[in-house]
Amino acid sequence: MIKELLIGGSLILGLGLIGQAEVPIFPYKYNEEILPNGLKVITIPMASNGIVSYYSITRTGSRDEWEPGHTGFAHLFEHMMFRGTKKYPGLLYDNIMTELGADANAYTTDDYTCYHLNFAATDLEKIIEMESDRFMNLQYDERDFKTETGAVYGEYLKGRVNPWFILYEKLYYMAFDKHTYKHTTIGFEADVKAMPTMYKYSQTFFKHYYRPENVILLIVGQIEPAPTLQLIHKYYDKWQPGYVPPQIESEPLQTAERVAEVSYPGKTLPILMVAYKSDAYNPNNRLYVAGLLLEQLAFGENSDLYKRLVLKEQKIEFLAADFSVNRDPKLNEIYAMVKSEDDLDYVREQIYMTMEQFKTEATDDTRLENLKMHLKYSFLMDLDTPDHVAGNLANFIAITGGIETVNRLYSEIMNVTATDVQEAAQHYGVPAKRTVIILKGAES
Amino acid sequence: MKTITYLLFWGLMTSFFLLSCGAKIDDSQCVLLPVAGDPTISFRIYFKVGSQDDPTGKEGLAYLTAHMLSEAATKKNSYDEIISKLFPLAAEYNASVSAEMTVISGRVYKSNLAAYYPLFTDAILDPAFQENDFNRLKSNALNYLENILKYANDEELGKAILYNEIFDGTGYGHLPEGLINSVKRITINDIREFYRKMYNRRSVVIGLGGGYDDLLLAKLKKDLSRLPSGTENIPPKNVPYDIQGLEVTIIEKNADATALSIGFPIDITRDNPEWYALAVANSWFGEHRNSSSHLYQVIREARGLNYGDYSYIEHFPNGGRRQFPPVNVARHQQIFEIWIRPVPNATRHFVLRTTMLELRNLIEKGLTQEQFELTRNFLRKYILHYAPTTMMRLGYAIDDRFYGIQGSHLEKFYTALETMTINDVNNAIRKYLQYDNLQIVFITNAAEKLRDDLIANTPSPIQYATPKPKAVLEEDKQLLNYPLDIKPENVNIVDVNDLFQ
Repeated sequence: MIKELLIGGSLILGLGLIGQAEVPIFPYKYNEEILPNGLKVITIPMASNGIVSYYSITRTGSRDEWEPGHTGFAHLFEHMMFRGTKKYPGLLYDNIMTELGADANAYTTDDYTCYHLNFAATDLEKIIEMESDRFMNLQYDERDFKTETGAVYGEYLKGRVNPWFILYEKLYYMAFDKHTYKHTTIGFEADVKAMPTMYKYSQTFFKHYYRPENVILLIVGQIEPAPTLQLIHKYYDKWQPGYVPPQIESEPLQTAERVAEVSYPGKTLPILMVAYKSDAYNPNNRLYVAGLLLEQLAFGENSDLYKRLVLKEQKIEFLAADFSVNRDPKLNEIYAMVKSEDDLDYVREQIYMTMEQFKTEATDDTRLENLKMHLKYSFLMDLDTPDHVAGNLANFIAITGGIETVNRLYSEIMNVTATDVQEAAQHYGVPAKRTVIILKGAES
Repeated sequence: MKTITYLLFWGLMTSFFLLSCGAKIDDSQCVLLPVAGDPTISFRIYFKVGSQDDPTGKEGLAYLTAHMLSEAATKKNSYDEIISKLFPLAAEYNASVSAEMTVISGRVYKSNLAAYYPLFTDAILDPAFQENDFNRLKSNALNYLENILKYANDEELGKAILYNEIFDGTGYGHLPEGLINSVKRITINDIREFYRKMYNRRSVVIGLGGGYDDLLLAKLKKDLSRLPSGTENIPPKNVPYDIQGLEVTIIEKNADATALSIGFPIDITRDNPEWYALAVANSWFGEHRNSSSHLYQVIREARGLNYGDYSYIEHFPNGGRRQFPPVNVARHQQIFEIWIRPVPNATRHFVLRTTMLELRNLIEKGLTQEQFELTRNFLRKYILHYAPTTMMRLGYAIDDRFYGIQGSHLEKFYTALETMTINDVNNAIRKYLQYDNLQIVFITNAAEKLRDDLIANTPSPIQYATPKPKAVLEEDKQLLNYPLDIKPENVNIVDVNDLFQ
């Protein structure tokens, strides 16, 4: 059964109406269907000069690596999935993708793994056939496995050249005791190094997580929903369910501030990271949505603190803030690259003081409204190609299982008041829920 | 299927128009790309100035000047106020500077145009050039040169050194960001003078695309006519360094893995019809970030030695961060470039040998009919992904102007693929590529050991952590002694700390 959700008219019409909270922000019509085996399919037709984007969103990321000694497997599969099947061995798969001129790639995050292709609409059936085949019938021998695990360790070593890689590794390790967010997406080094010996485990991982009820297909561009769904049925109906959920431990409440210093074996300006424990993504939680706005109001590029420290005093190269949009409670991060080690304490103090100020003083209404406009237009401006539409939705779909959450989130953003922002500061800006990492360059 | 794809492609590309502009801005100075139904407007204001125009000792001046327009105060607003005003529009404007081009670009929702337009045009026409903005941007550029590029991105560092070596002594011989001591030397008065001289009416091209109307075009033409009349900047011909044999530069640093870049100047740019045949050869040999790349198959896929291996016939900066070719980094002198992503240090000599042999095979054997057909079919559809947005298509149209291409480069690319033969491709390979005179750049540790190994042609046996097919091991036996004629006087070791001074 096709459940058709009517979401606005054209992109332009939708825009004219946004601002009234009840009008959904997402400007395209879309269809959702769930196959009997649990596979969800979302189609979004849009004019696109004959291009289609095809995203297979697998709701398994490094968060799901709960078994000790086995971190990094979600990312490893991002690689293994290109190894082919009995019908289409790796080289043949590559050859056909070349023949189709497809732009094929994949990425892994803490919450999901995403396989994405852009291709000519005329090749839709071939792509569906090949994508379904590798999700159902992936096949690789131990030799292939060892080669690919070797490449992944190479990727780990390449990453370590970057100070941010080292910073995040330390941050997550320090901030989490029980939850799997303790490791970065590429995994603990010892586990990545040991991967070549874990061929059998890799097959278990695939059997547990690469199942239809754990995958969502998002197809955007020059397509007709009904015939597309017929093709999906034709090629995916045989896929057997059997998802085994991971046993992820909840993170206990953090009760005291954690501080660590980490050294980067090269030259860099020092980096200061101040991260507060967050909540799981939930657009129905007003405090959470207000927290998202708080982060930008207090520490974003239009904040007073940014303008003072970056533009006026020029103590730092930049200041930025990321509010957690995750399946489980993760971290709201505020970070700065500081020009002189002597100013690290000062900058840190300014960040703390700003958070305190937002707890006691109400935000100016104009600023709040400006931020709402900024978020709205930023989202809409980036919906101009199938790949951009799919790419912007993927995270939300991975976390919640559908698109509707986007409309809910932006509607709730429009409802946030200055009082909500103040309460969010009181809720999230708690020193005992803070982890602070200072990174310095060894050769600096 | 072919016909349909072609029609789609035609539809994509024929929305490009070249219209007459009149007024003080000359007709030929407007590149227009109207797109009915686009709720946004895209601007690309191209100035014929780039880092090759930096005066000696002031390398980085063009880059800093452009950023003093895009990230600094105007006479009407402080940068703080500009940020505040742009913020609710979710719009911005950016400067990009390459060797020969400076482009100030921006995109805005039509409904936000009235608020955006004066900020955008003030940035170009009425910059304030204040000392505090200047100090901040100078600090950014120095941080990039002193820290980020030298330590946090060996791949980009390898490519930068490759270009610097090949174009040493010319305007292409330094990064747009400049040199450390030169950037320190630049003053706010240098910026003012450079702006006054280079940002003139004869050196500007207006790029406008999306849902704009005639009124906006007329206003933009009129407003930009306020630029001083000046003289058109005619770039000097950058004659590359005459590479003799295999010249090796080893950048020594404490590196866990070795980044490798190889290249040499080529006497062809995209305005030459033979370029398309060479592009097919290059795509087969090393399509950027694509497993169809032959080098990728040999080094990564069969041997698992790194993350990817690619080649280029046009400048492709920041390859690690993009999938498709960038726009507005056009150059009149290009190089053929090979990018080997970091390999284990113990395999660096072996990987150089492998790459050099593959290059030689390409030149001596050319492509087979099957390889040619596969690559041609690939490109027919793959180039559809190059310019999916109005902003990108406008970028391509500006580059067409730069190269003097009548019509659209991407359209010509598609048409050329239709009629091309294997002979065209193999002739282009023989005409433009060679393997005798190359610049090689390593970013690695233990540089002296590498130099000695290279000069002595020390065998480079390779040990894999995992079993490999017999065919691969047989090939390796040939490779471990593959001779490279590297002379002691052609190897130069440089400490990473001494770069970009």
